[in-house]
Amino acid sequence: MATALTPTPARTGGGRAKSALLTGALLLPASIWYLFLLVLPMGFVVAFSFGEKARNGGYTPAFTLDNYGQVMKGADPFLESLKLATAGTFLTLLVALPLAYFLATRAGSRKGLFVLLLVIPFWTSFLIRTYSWLIVLGRGNLGGFIGGLLGDPNFRLLGTPGAILLGLVYGYLPLMIFPLYVTLERMDRSLIEASKDLGAGRWATFRQITLPIALPGLVTGSILVFIPMMGEYVIPQILGYGRTFLIGNALVLDFLEARNWPLGSAKAVVLIATMLITISVYVWFVNRGRQARGVGVLGARPP
Amino acid sequence: MADQDRDAFMARLARTKVNRRSFLAAAGLIGGGAALAACTGSTGGTQAPASAEPSAAPSTVASAAESTAPTAAASYAIEDELWMLNWSGYVDPGNMEAFKAEYGVKNFQYDIFANNEELLAKLAGGATGYDMSCPTAEFIPQMAEQGYIQKLDFSRIPNFQYIDKAVLSQKWDPNNEYHVPKDFGTTGILYRSKIVKEPITSWKEFYDLSTGKYSGKVVLVDSLGDVLAMPLKMLGFSINTIDQGELAQAQKLLTDLAPHILALDSDTYQDKLASEEAVLCLGWTGPLLALRQDPKTADTKYVVPSEGTMFWLDTWVMMADAPHPNATYAWFDYVERPAVQAKETEYTGYGTPNLEAKKLLSPDLLNDPSIFPPEDVMKNLEGADPTVTDNADRIAVWTAFKSSIGG
Repeated sequence: MATALTPTPARTGGGRAKSALLTGALLLPASIWYLFLLVLPMGFVVAFSFGEKARNGGYTPAFTLDNYGQVMKGADPFLESLKLATAGTFLTLLVALPLAYFLATRAGSRKGLFVLLLVIPFWTSFLIRTYSWLIVLGRGNLGGFIGGLLGDPNFRLLGTPGAILLGLVYGYLPLMIFPLYVTLERMDRSLIEASKDLGAGRWATFRQITLPIALPGLVTGSILVFIPMMGEYVIPQILGYGRTFLIGNALVLDFLEARNWPLGSAKAVVLIATMLITISVYVWFVNRGRQARGVGVLGARPP
Repeated sequence: MADQDRDAFMARLARTKVNRRSFLAAAGLIGGGAALAACTGSTGGTQAPASAEPSAAPSTVASAAESTAPTAAASYAIEDELWMLNWSGYVDPGNMEAFKAEYGVKNFQYDIFANNEELLAKLAGGATGYDMSCPTAEFIPQMAEQGYIQKLDFSRIPNFQYIDKAVLSQKWDPNNEYHVPKDFGTTGILYRSKIVKEPITSWKEFYDLSTGKYSGKVVLVDSLGDVLAMPLKMLGFSINTIDQGELAQAQKLLTDLAPHILALDSDTYQDKLASEEAVLCLGWTGPLLALRQDPKTADTKYVVPSEGTMFWLDTWVMMADAPHPNATYAWFDYVERPAVQAKETEYTGYGTPNLEAKKLLSPDLLNDPSIFPPEDVMKNLEGADPTVTDNADRIAVWTAFKSSIGG
């Protein structure tokens, strides 16, 4: 996924055939990977979504639109996931942006250490980290403490949307921080000084200089975070006590409990379509006006 | 306080064998490795060395078996590998080691699946190279129909004679051709008797307390068939009904129950009971032993509801293309030796249908009605019918219930 504004590579002329060969060699491993592990399985999912459930569960070839009809009748899990992923992405951004800004501009020589500290927790299994929140937020600890302050013995943090959001932000924070950090670190500091010299306040400088520069990282980070959050299943199941029925739950139910692969596939296709549309709208929204100036984000064409 | 809690939590984790039906724990913590192992299994990569071994090895192995085990397996050359696909933590590692030593099996591979559906999916995906597996009984007919498992030669499993006839000749294998029963259990009610003083004997009492006094302190396992058994049995219907009118009545009960539910959780419900966040639970006997051993949670009780409930039986089956059939037969016979089977029961905490093994169990275990329900309770139990587990109307009831819990 291209993050930044890609400049046109300057052609030095000559060795065209050699360069084509090199391009091919560079692209080959990724192409094979994507063809066999992304395009082909996706093709199966799309094909399955028009099929029928076999007698013993699974898939049997057919052509029917019934699965999609059924998906449209039960849109709730999609909406729940969309709400959760949007809120989660926004919150992650709120936490990540100041931190990335700090790392890029103020951490100085300790930068490496801070980055390392951010990465270390991810050497531990994702499940174990999520399960450990059960202890932190549990009644014996934070949940009970807040309940005590409120004087409510039945107060709990776990099993609430708040706990799910916390888990989401915690789990996906680095995916947001690093793209932001990378773009902010490359920012030319003299731009900020110039802005201040010209009389702009902190807020105006942030809004007109820093934010536009950070935008490519912000968009990349948001997408990296939003996509897995849409399909999130484990965090709501553990920290949310399985009380919310999300699209991830619906898929598990269809494929495992109902053994209705075609219906599950149709939901997966609709999920992919939902994400593509959401992300396209988002990128379009961010790019309003920028495209014309040739500074668009993701897929911008140089003027 | 915090430290104590953490210690108790870790202690419980360490003591609790991974719940047999624990989806997340098994799928996530161990599943990754198993998936990889399954891959190597299917490519047969690790089996290559076996053929390279000199063929002299099996004969010495067989003679060793002859001297220590006077069973029918003796005349067959036992292969030196055995590949098993099983639920996590479901066989006593001590028994496996002893078996390896006795029969000269060098590589006894234990790969896992998280639930029956995953097992089917793995087999459908072409996982070959396995000798045996442990599906729940109601999955036997379709595994046989799809050609995944083979008929057994029971003359090679003499210890099969110890199996209780009561669990045989059931609808899943009417002519007893495909399986050796492994162990059984029920779906029932777990509760903290320290807090819940009311006696609970039935689903009705569980339901009334859940929607009344203990609202918000109720956990249900996240499993369609098990949860649906409650309203259906309360109403006096079969747990396997696909009658729309009956299901509609069950749905009404579930909809009224939904706002009182704390969690749908098959993986850590024992922790919610331990922390007293939940005091009532629709679940399995798996975590019961561990909860009882901890003095703080020793008051945990398990009830098989009087209206009847779901009964499950896990089974040993041999794969149709088992590469090591002789070792597989040897294992089936070995594991049903009374002393070996008794150790299995002590390890898994689930009921054994091996009558001789029961004689060797500690009285605590044997007289525990939650593990070995008395006769009058047993007769109310009902096995799941594989043809209805994925019925669209039942799925619709379940989906509606899950989405109405909210939170």
